[in-house]
Amino acid sequence: MILKVFRWAPGAHERLQKYWIPAKEGMTVLDALVDAQRRLDPTLAFRYACRVGMCGSCAMVINGRERWACRTLQTLRRGTVTVRPLYHFPLIRDLVVDMAPIKEKMVAAGGAFVPGDGSPAFAPVGGESGERRRIDAAIECIGCGMCVSACTMVAHDPRFPGPAALNRLFTLQTDSRDAGHSARGAVMLSEDSLIRCHGQATCTAVCPMEISPTESILSLRRQAVARLFR
Amino acid sequence: MPGRRVLRRQWASSEGWRDTKAGMWAWLLQRVAAVLLIAVIALHLKNPFVRPVQAALLGLVLLHGLLGVRAILLDFGLPVRWHRLLFTGAIAAGVVVFAVVWGLR
Repeated sequence: MILKVFRWAPGAHERLQKYWIPAKEGMTVLDALVDAQRRLDPTLAFRYACRVGMCGSCAMVINGRERWACRTLQTLRRGTVTVRPLYHFPLIRDLVVDMAPIKEKMVAAGGAFVPGDGSPAFAPVGGESGERRRIDAAIECIGCGMCVSACTMVAHDPRFPGPAALNRLFTLQTDSRDAGHSARGAVMLSEDSLIRCHGQATCTAVCPMEISPTESILSLRRQAVARLFR
Repeated sequence: MPGRRVLRRQWASSEGWRDTKAGMWAWLLQRVAAVLLIAVIALHLKNPFVRPVQAALLGLVLLHGLLGVRAILLDFGLPVRWHRLLFTGAIAAGVVVFAVVWGLR
């Protein structure tokens, strides 16, 4: 197989470098990258940790789609495999991007739990409740960044919080224990936030945790409109 | 972070379009139909009896309107997992209505 990998380092010109990798049964794109790094080019930089589809650190753009390299079989994509870093994140080197904007946007949007006055240290939301089910559907985000890379709006409005941060906001706005609902109202109604989402559901299509940030954003929109009439 | 290199999808390349999702096609088609409608409405006002312009006007209004109905239904709480079905449904409904209306003229 031919592996075409995006190469770039500060001060250098970007290029797509070709590596010829002997294909093996069951080989993933991550396996191919590791092979290229060990046998052909130790300067090739990419990020991975668990290698078994749990941590999300090997998220990258493979043949035009955001994927986890460890979950993508190269045998399924015969011929050339083109690998690029995630879009919309600052590049560090080659396939490695700076993931800090995910956290920064969550913090800026008010993505931290706000305890209410006198609330107990441990206050569970009942497992059978509708509130729990709505939150559960959105809470498993591990911050791999693929939704941010796939979103077409993130690139056009730097103030747009992006699908990961807005999905986080949804889990908090749905949580009856959280006391920050009103404070986040300004973020939700701002012209750079919910209204900017075009509802293309590209974030939902690529999420490996099967979260639907689109559903969360549309739900937040309904909540935001409802707040206007209270 | 200002000044740092950030990659964006290359819309001028086939790789950039390779994985375009149904939801994006729906959004894009609705916007393209809106832009084309401006030109077609102008042509229609100039001479309302030109058959191809009438057909284009009907087709574009149906496309733009029905995709708008799809977006409104999703906004009002229809599950997002239905969005591809709604897209297909909007196109199918548009084709049927176009065929019926054009057949009745």
